[in-house]
Amino acid sequence: MLVRTIALLGHKDHGKSTLIGNMLIQTGSATQVRINEAKVYSEKMHKPFEPAFILDSFAEEREQEMTYDTTRAEIKHKDLAFAFIDVPGHEELIKNMISGASYGEIAILLVSAKGDEGVRDQTRRHLFISRMLGIERLIVAVNKMDTIQYDEGRFEEIKSSLGGFIGKIGFNPKNVCFVPISAYNGENLVKRSKKMGWYGGDALIDAIYKNAKRAGGRKRGPLRIIVQGVLDQASNMIGGRIVSGRLAAGNRIVIMPCMDNAVAREIIVKGKRVRNANAGENVAIRLDRKVKHALRGAVISGLSDRPLLTDTVNARIFVTKRFGKDVQIKFNGIDIRCSGIKVLNGIDTTTGEKIKATKPEILNAIDAQVRFERRLPVERFEETKELGRFVLYSKKDFAGIGTIK
Amino acid sequence: MIKQDLRTLEEKSIYIIREAKLKFNNVAALWSMGKDSTTMLALARKAFLGKVPFPVIHIDNSIDFPETYKFRQDLAKKWKLDLIVADSEIKPDLVGAACCGKNKPDTLKKVMNQYGFDALIVSIRRDEHGIRAKERYMSPRDKDFKWDYKNQPIELWDDYSSKLDAKGHVRIHPLLDWNEIDIWNYVKQERIPVNPLYFSRNGYRYRSLGCTHCTTPLKSDAKDVSQIIKELETTTDEERSGRDMDKEREYVMQKLRALGYL
Repeated sequence: MLVRTIALLGHKDHGKSTLIGNMLIQTGSATQVRINEAKVYSEKMHKPFEPAFILDSFAEEREQEMTYDTTRAEIKHKDLAFAFIDVPGHEELIKNMISGASYGEIAILLVSAKGDEGVRDQTRRHLFISRMLGIERLIVAVNKMDTIQYDEGRFEEIKSSLGGFIGKIGFNPKNVCFVPISAYNGENLVKRSKKMGWYGGDALIDAIYKNAKRAGGRKRGPLRIIVQGVLDQASNMIGGRIVSGRLAAGNRIVIMPCMDNAVAREIIVKGKRVRNANAGENVAIRLDRKVKHALRGAVISGLSDRPLLTDTVNARIFVTKRFGKDVQIKFNGIDIRCSGIKVLNGIDTTTGEKIKATKPEILNAIDAQVRFERRLPVERFEETKELGRFVLYSKKDFAGIGTIK
Repeated sequence: MIKQDLRTLEEKSIYIIREAKLKFNNVAALWSMGKDSTTMLALARKAFLGKVPFPVIHIDNSIDFPETYKFRQDLAKKWKLDLIVADSEIKPDLVGAACCGKNKPDTLKKVMNQYGFDALIVSIRRDEHGIRAKERYMSPRDKDFKWDYKNQPIELWDDYSSKLDAKGHVRIHPLLDWNEIDIWNYVKQERIPVNPLYFSRNGYRYRSLGCTHCTTPLKSDAKDVSQIIKELETTTDEERSGRDMDKEREYVMQKLRALGYL
């Protein structure tokens, strides 16, 4: 069964873990042992049953009623399975949120309709990050509808207050939908709620299904293989992953950044010799000659349609730690020093607006010209994700994520 | 239990196993002779042109089942494994979780130091336990094996970039995404040899294998891999329900893992 990954986004306490917990229960995907465990801990805390405890397994998470780190849980629906990725909503745990959300193919944004909760800075920031991570399909689940008597007016208000921002940060409005729910009470999760007769759309699970059907798909595009390393010195076998396109035995290829040409004599996938290998597959390749620089981080492509080889790129960077000159990036498994980062402008991640900036500020983004210590094979993130993204480190600490424009 | 697409799982695991070997200087794997770690070895052979390219460690407390020892001997020979047997001493005053939390990690520490391993492949899966579900694909442990679960490293975009304390090591979890039923479907598809204890004898079988002291079999008539798969399609029991340590005091798994349990 094909599994589609779904990242949960949103401000703390707007109901991400509760939603997944209740989806697991309502679809019969959680074992009785896990449900009972959550029951026991809820009782211990003198609280009504809390479905979030099915996900929040650490003692600290239950005691403080907050998610510390990402986890995932699966349900199935029709011919697909959905793996929900839970992430923490707290600002200071953004590193864990990014780790989780980066695996999402689709996102569900939780916005609480309760009292003054509504759309918050962290709500918008999570959306901004998810778009940077490459998520294209979004379901906005307006939660806690039970606390406002399932009021359509409040639902519409939240919808319109997010609409402009969603477009501004690059989501196609056609790929965004809004669903009113009560995660705790289970309204509109797996079937249409009778309490919201005014709502004509899908229950959440059907909205997810429709998006999941359209997401993913194999990458066609030009041949790109990222080399992981030499698998076997004696037979000169190179290991790598095809991130787009197709490789056939006998193809002439070029290895970047050294630009050596060679012929792929033999291709092995999962232990078997094959004539062709496709995107998504891990390959072992024997070349017709010894290429000294077919090393970790090298990129293999066809002769004509190649990535750009450059030491300077324009990139958008989401900043998680302030950094100065001492910056390194991780790019396709290798560490590269940056010799300069020139800030062009800042972006307020809670409005999507460009702002004046000369330095990177935490939890905001910058557009910058980044110079690497040597030339790298790169592409725009929109073209080939794997060759257009990097992770920044400053003095060994995680400092941000970048995408090449 | 949700059956996932085996090709997707397989590719991801192969990628992670190759990362483990190519990124670290000296990697080893734990092999308990159970279905999961044996499946991991089968995947390693696919990743590395038919041979397992790293040593495999069995932490042997001498109270494993006789079938397990026979299985170890046979498969080590057949797959030409570089097998390290690390003897672990059972102390009578330590029982249950205290035993799991101390004896095996202590022995493992010794063997890791002796050989200087900087990375260790462990075949845990998310669906086994809520705490295991919180793990990263690559997770650093300090020299005392402590898991700093409150401050796990960033991990994104297939770049499992664990920071390494000079004296610690990195745990690598290539099977994190797999469900129990996926393992059995893969065992069937690839005809991976498995320990006979998994199959029903006299109406009982082991679903999860520990040592003889703390593992109990469950009622089952599943006599082969296909019957196990059938059983799992309908069961509502937890996989590790036959493992004593999972039933002890609350958060025992969290405490054990934080201390270096495998």
